[in-house]
Amino acid sequence: MTPELDYQSPSYCDAYSRINAIVIEGEREAHDNYLTLGEMLPELQGDFAKLAKMEDKHKKGFIACGKNLNVEPDMQFAQLFFAQLHGNFQKAAQAGDVVTCLLIQSLLIECFAIAAYNIYIPVADPFARKITEGVVKDEYLHLNYGEEWLKQHFTQSKSQLEQANRQNLPLIWKMLNQVEQDAKTLGMEKEALVEDFMIQYGESLGKIGFNTREIMKMSAMGLVPA
Amino acid sequence: MFGLIGHLTSLDHAKAVARRLGFDEYADQGLEFWCSAPPQIVDEITVKSLTGSEIKGLYVESCFLPEMLAGNRFKTAIRKILNAMAHAQKHGIDITALGGFSSIIFENFNLAQLLQVRNIQLDIQRFTTGNTHTAYIIVRQIEEASRKFGIDLAKAVITVCGASGDIGSAVCRWLTANTDFRELLLVARNQEKLHNLRSQLGRGKVTDLAHALPLSDIIVWVASMAKGMAINVNQLKRPCILIDGGYPKNMENTISADGIYVINGGIVEHSLDIDWKIMDIVNMAAPARHLFACFAESMLLEFEGWHTNFSWGRNQITVDKMQQIGTVSIKHGFRPLIG
Repeated sequence: MTPELDYQSPSYCDAYSRINAIVIEGEREAHDNYLTLGEMLPELQGDFAKLAKMEDKHKKGFIACGKNLNVEPDMQFAQLFFAQLHGNFQKAAQAGDVVTCLLIQSLLIECFAIAAYNIYIPVADPFARKITEGVVKDEYLHLNYGEEWLKQHFTQSKSQLEQANRQNLPLIWKMLNQVEQDAKTLGMEKEALVEDFMIQYGESLGKIGFNTREIMKMSAMGLVPA
Repeated sequence: MFGLIGHLTSLDHAKAVARRLGFDEYADQGLEFWCSAPPQIVDEITVKSLTGSEIKGLYVESCFLPEMLAGNRFKTAIRKILNAMAHAQKHGIDITALGGFSSIIFENFNLAQLLQVRNIQLDIQRFTTGNTHTAYIIVRQIEEASRKFGIDLAKAVITVCGASGDIGSAVCRWLTANTDFRELLLVARNQEKLHNLRSQLGRGKVTDLAHALPLSDIIVWVASMAKGMAINVNQLKRPCILIDGGYPKNMENTISADGIYVINGGIVEHSLDIDWKIMDIVNMAAPARHLFACFAESMLLEFEGWHTNFSWGRNQITVDKMQQIGTVSIKHGFRPLIG
């Protein structure tokens, strides 16, 4: 069912230069974001430092994936790609808004990473597949960490989570649209990415305490027109 | 706990249902949106048996729509079914029926080869197509409807449209083993499968629909079609019983004429009210009591503690298994709907 991919073809390598850069930049920002969260919640600083360390390891793994295919990641593209979401995280951090920071990093970014990595694994080159399989296992742990904190603070965080979702989920769809064609070149369909994200995100919102109706509303926020 | 994986019959149907359930985010969207929509648990169900026992279940809406197959979006259709199965398993459901197209997609696209869904390894023992019970209910509908509408089965010509399918072939096996009839006409798109079935049965005649319709006293519709076909009532004998077990229905038009009796095929009536809302959504005449026999199969397996894929694979339904599920169907209070 999966079409044959030529990992060395110019079109594959060109698309990979952007997708690989996004993944490297995403892991780098995740590392920094967890360190920031550690400063915001000093009693959990040790835990966040561990998560940050794992993200750094992931970043190195994905850098190796690019090298393995002789692809130079387009880091400038990746920084621009994340700029708005990164800005929103920074703004929330400066305001001491832990809930928004956790929604952006621990839920949105982790859920999207899990969805994208799971869709990527079956179509990845053998080297990247092995790396990504290891990474995705860690990302489930990271997601769970954020879910647990938000679950424990659900009552006081609920309306802030809804607001943060309203502001940030549409950015995720916009970012996805930006790389739809590149992802397709790598064998990843947009509709599968969206569906997997919605499954993972809906499951997380459910664990935190939202009901089905709220989940359907929140996870579809801003999707159409995507 | 039992589960049901279902889907709606068309995009228009899906939009109307989403609106009715208050899911406005879904109600205004086109097919593209449904292609990305995740599975949802939309109903919690309690069922009581005539024996007094009570079981709980969940209804999983897969967000699959027949238009996905009609538009050749096979990858999407496959993803919908696998994701719905993973969703059911993740929620700890012990036995889940794959309703409507779900089991057809599973079989036709050989999804048994694709049981790893993200971090979930699907356990096929937890799923049943429900087709054994559906086939059993259809043969009971043939028997009871013929009595009710004055057709002598021993002199009847019975046509099975979709005879080579899982349910159709089971109906044919039961009829040749247990029923006295004059002629069995076998109709399906795949001629090779149809001739193989004819050899296995040792009875019956392979033909096409145009030839079969005017000759038939009873017509069983169990073909898998994304959209129903129009039937010209003037082609039919009088009296004639039409048992339509398709979902969506095989017959597109509503037939109303003297001597023509249309039965909602593969539908059971429960003796006690069921606490759920989902059958209202699929337009059952008595939503608290009427349901698809395939769904009822997962309830029966839960009542009996048979947490196993009772109906599985293609064309493996035996007459003995139909009898076995039929016995517990009666025991727990289900009966074929004649209408």
